[in-house]
Amino acid sequence: MRFLPLALLLTVSGVATADEEEADTCLRTKIWAGYNDGWAVRTATSASLAEGDHRIYLVTMYAGNEYRLQVCGDANANDVDIVLHDANGTELMRDESDDREPLINFKPASTDTYYIAVYAGSLAKGQTKAGVAMAVTYK
Amino acid sequence: MIRNWMCTLALLTVACGGESPDKSAATGAETAAKPAVEKKVVKFDKSTLQAEALEIALVPSPAEMQKALNNAGLQSQLSTMVEKRDIAMKAENKDQIAVRTGVVLADLVLTVQDATTEEQLARLNRLKEGFALLGAGDDVANTIEDLRGQIQGGSGSRADLLKEFDELSGVLVPELKYEAGEWVVPLIQAGSWLEGAHLVSGAIKKEAKYEEAGKLLKQPAVVDYFLKYVQREGSDKAPDQVVKKLEETLTMLKEITSKETIEEEDVNNIYSATGAVLTML
Repeated sequence: MRFLPLALLLTVSGVATADEEEADTCLRTKIWAGYNDGWAVRTATSASLAEGDHRIYLVTMYAGNEYRLQVCGDANANDVDIVLHDANGTELMRDESDDREPLINFKPASTDTYYIAVYAGSLAKGQTKAGVAMAVTYK
Repeated sequence: MIRNWMCTLALLTVACGGESPDKSAATGAETAAKPAVEKKVVKFDKSTLQAEALEIALVPSPAEMQKALNNAGLQSQLSTMVEKRDIAMKAENKDQIAVRTGVVLADLVLTVQDATTEEQLARLNRLKEGFALLGAGDDVANTIEDLRGQIQGGSGSRADLLKEFDELSGVLVPELKYEAGEWVVPLIQAGSWLEGAHLVSGAIKKEAKYEEAGKLLKQPAVVDYFLKYVQREGSDKAPDQVVKKLEETLTMLKEITSKETIEEEDVNNIYSATGAVLTML
């Protein structure tokens, strides 16, 4: 299974679609590059989003660990955003970028559950869906 | 003289590129000067977050527990605390098979740097059996066979194996579709988490670092998530002492991990309760 692409893993599971493969490959490259700096992957998953669509993930994070939440959109995506909330729904952080590869670094003050919202802000002209892959990594 | 200046002016005009390029540049400047389209800021309210949240990333991995332990200042290495045992996939109850598979997966990941080749191969064999019984399909079996081949052939470092075991446990296993049903992933995760919680509570006891217990074990939402699937409608109702014990243990853990402060007695209870389930496997 050496470096089996995430896209292939997701295809094996029947989840990936054609436009998610580019996003998966991009994300996977970032995940494995992170291992050189001490990061490890908790979870990686992908979805197809229309403009304005979102996915929300509930995540447990440990106080003391550092987390990196990162997303890759495929070429159909112009701007994808990540918004992090605490367990009460209060917004803690959001990426301010206008691109399709947002990233948030976060060090929780307390061990708790957090909500990560991944939002497809805008797609390339004429596109109706974009592949978006999200990973939670830690160190 | 005048003719010379006129000539210079004419040359400058030509050198500047004439009318078209100038117009083009001006158009570009005008474009740049236009106010950027304001980025739409989307807000998510609590009810939306609660209603739509997917739980695929809810459960921390055993390797992440190890990292949290060290970041909290404990010295213990969970890999050295993993019992040397063979967890057979001999149960008839599929819930129990999923839990057993999760425990083996946790042990495989935690001991990636220290286990012998024989131990790694034995755990991969058990995983393959477990996934087959849960109807995970041939692809995961092939993936495990690839890993076995790598280990047997001595190709790749332990650091490479760490990535691949992380990928197996954190990416592939949660995304697979199981014939047995959608409850399989949470119960595999429950097995892994139970093993991790047992080892972490053991490390806290050993180092008497009870003040760090809240940071490391306070996860009521995770326990609740497991309970939801153990108590689901249509679960395998065949009498099974392990699943019954698991449900009792999770119910107790939910109460403990929901406390404001987790104290020494609570850590001892977590350690003995999780141990009681694990020794039944």
